[in-house]
Amino acid sequence: MEEYSLTVGAHLLLWAFPLTLVILVVVEDILDRRDREPER
Amino acid sequence: MTPVEGSTLTTVAAVMVAYLAALLLIGWRAARRTHGGEDFHLAGRSLGAWSAGISSTASSESGWVTLGAVGMTFTYGVSGLWYAPGCLLGYLVNVYLVAPRLRPLSASQGSVTLTDVITRRWGDPRNVLRLTATTIILICMMGYVAAQMTAAGKAFSSSLGLEGRGGYILGVVIGAAVIILVTSLGGFRAVAWTDLFQGLLVAIALIGLPLYAIARLGGFGVLVQGLGAVNPDFLSAGGGRLGPALWGFIIGQLGIGLGYPGMPHVITRYMAARDDREVQRLQIIAMFWGVAVFYGAGLVGLVGRVSLPNLADGEQALMALALQLVHPVLAGLLLAAVISAILSTVSSQLLVAASAVSYDVVEETLGKASDDRRSLILGRWTVAVVGLIGILVALTEVRLVFWFVLFAWSGLGAAFAPLILLALAQRGVNRHGALAAMLTGTGVTVAWKLGRDATANPELFARVWWITLIAAAVILGLGRLARAFERGDRVGVVAATILTVISWWLVQQWGLHNLYELVPAFFLAGFAALAVSAITKPSNV
Repeated sequence: MEEYSLTVGAHLLLWAFPLTLVILVVVEDILDRRDREPER
Repeated sequence: MTPVEGSTLTTVAAVMVAYLAALLLIGWRAARRTHGGEDFHLAGRSLGAWSAGISSTASSESGWVTLGAVGMTFTYGVSGLWYAPGCLLGYLVNVYLVAPRLRPLSASQGSVTLTDVITRRWGDPRNVLRLTATTIILICMMGYVAAQMTAAGKAFSSSLGLEGRGGYILGVVIGAAVIILVTSLGGFRAVAWTDLFQGLLVAIALIGLPLYAIARLGGFGVLVQGLGAVNPDFLSAGGGRLGPALWGFIIGQLGIGLGYPGMPHVITRYMAARDDREVQRLQIIAMFWGVAVFYGAGLVGLVGRVSLPNLADGEQALMALALQLVHPVLAGLLLAAVISAILSTVSSQLLVAASAVSYDVVEETLGKASDDRRSLILGRWTVAVVGLIGILVALTEVRLVFWFVLFAWSGLGAAFAPLILLALAQRGVNRHGALAAMLTGTGVTVAWKLGRDATANPELFARVWWITLIAAAVILGLGRLARAFERGDRVGVVAATILTVISWWLVQQWGLHNLYELVPAFFLAGFAALAVSAITKPSNV
């Protein structure tokens, strides 16, 4: 029976892009909170 | 689709009634806190991060995310997911570029609607910008509202077990009546709160259902093998497309995101945020919601393709999986999520259309600036009247509705997104350039769309450039009759006409049929704004 697998492009589209985006958004949020701390 | 048992249908209908009751309760609570015009149109600029963030995203997605996006991956496999990066890039621009600048700008201007932001940014002594923007918004939004009511009617009639034409009419009326009541009583606050409730329901459904369905299938590996067995191209990012077809498809899908900064029902949420801190907090909330919902919808389509091989319409995959896999109460909640995605958009668009009439036309253009109390009453009645017109259109002119909807997203996006970005950039554009951008964005959208479909009816569509010239002559003639146009406005109309005709020629000559119309319309509208502003610079900035 033939074995199928996702292509590299499909991996990028399906997992890598959203995961990278989520990491960047979280890092931005953490940096944002750290910047706001001294204002208190 | 497997026939649904009567007892299941009864349980689903009961959940649906409870869901509608929850919407009414939220609307009633919001109404008690709505006391004046700014409350009604912008929730008194008091939204917190969660309601502003989820409301901005939920109102932008409509039934498309639970039906259309699911259908994309069901039909095209993994390559159907290209809409997700497109939409998420649009979210990035909106929450990190537009929202932090738009909130303080609108607060300092005292602006209440998107039209208000544009007119106060560049000045509008003869109401040319306000009437142009309002006309574009009303045409697009009414088409949208009626189309969403049609979709809600179909979803309600199938989930409540209402059959035939009578069932459809009853479905439209039930969904629309609840939304009109909630929106007219509670205004912007009710819309934002119900959006929050419905947006969370959609997110939970689109995270939970695909994970459960994949687990039931036997895991992700089984899903990949199943997709490959249906069609090996389903496992690649190009989906078997090659050359111009591939690039046209990818650029077009990514281009969807260009429209987000121009959606009035989305960016007014940022204007209504309480302060800059809430805007910063809503960024991560909106992005997480987007990732969860777009990828969840994509996974539902993929798993539906393997689990439901006999399903004829991929857009029904979420509902079919829900009815097949989970307990009727949960299935009812999942169907409520499908309807939520539709109703959260209807209420937001209904409010934008009503604000365009009651605030932009009656209060601002006609100068009937009444006190806060009268502004509230006017807003409420306008929502009711606009909503009733929406119901009538949805019940009688379904074909006309879908013709308008074809242009609604790209028309609004091209007319307003470049303009909002330029408004926030603070330089290079004047009011004549703003007029040129709105007309070019709308004109190029229509010309490109019809040009792409020209093969369907070449004799009719080949006359588009005549229609453009006549439309331009009518605009110039009306402007002259009303003595509204300055020299710069005439330059703007002529520039928009030339760019529209050029775009028609381009799509015909170069065969750029695979390119989504929003992409050229967006960039040509931005070019028109800058070029016309440069030509007419001495008149004002």
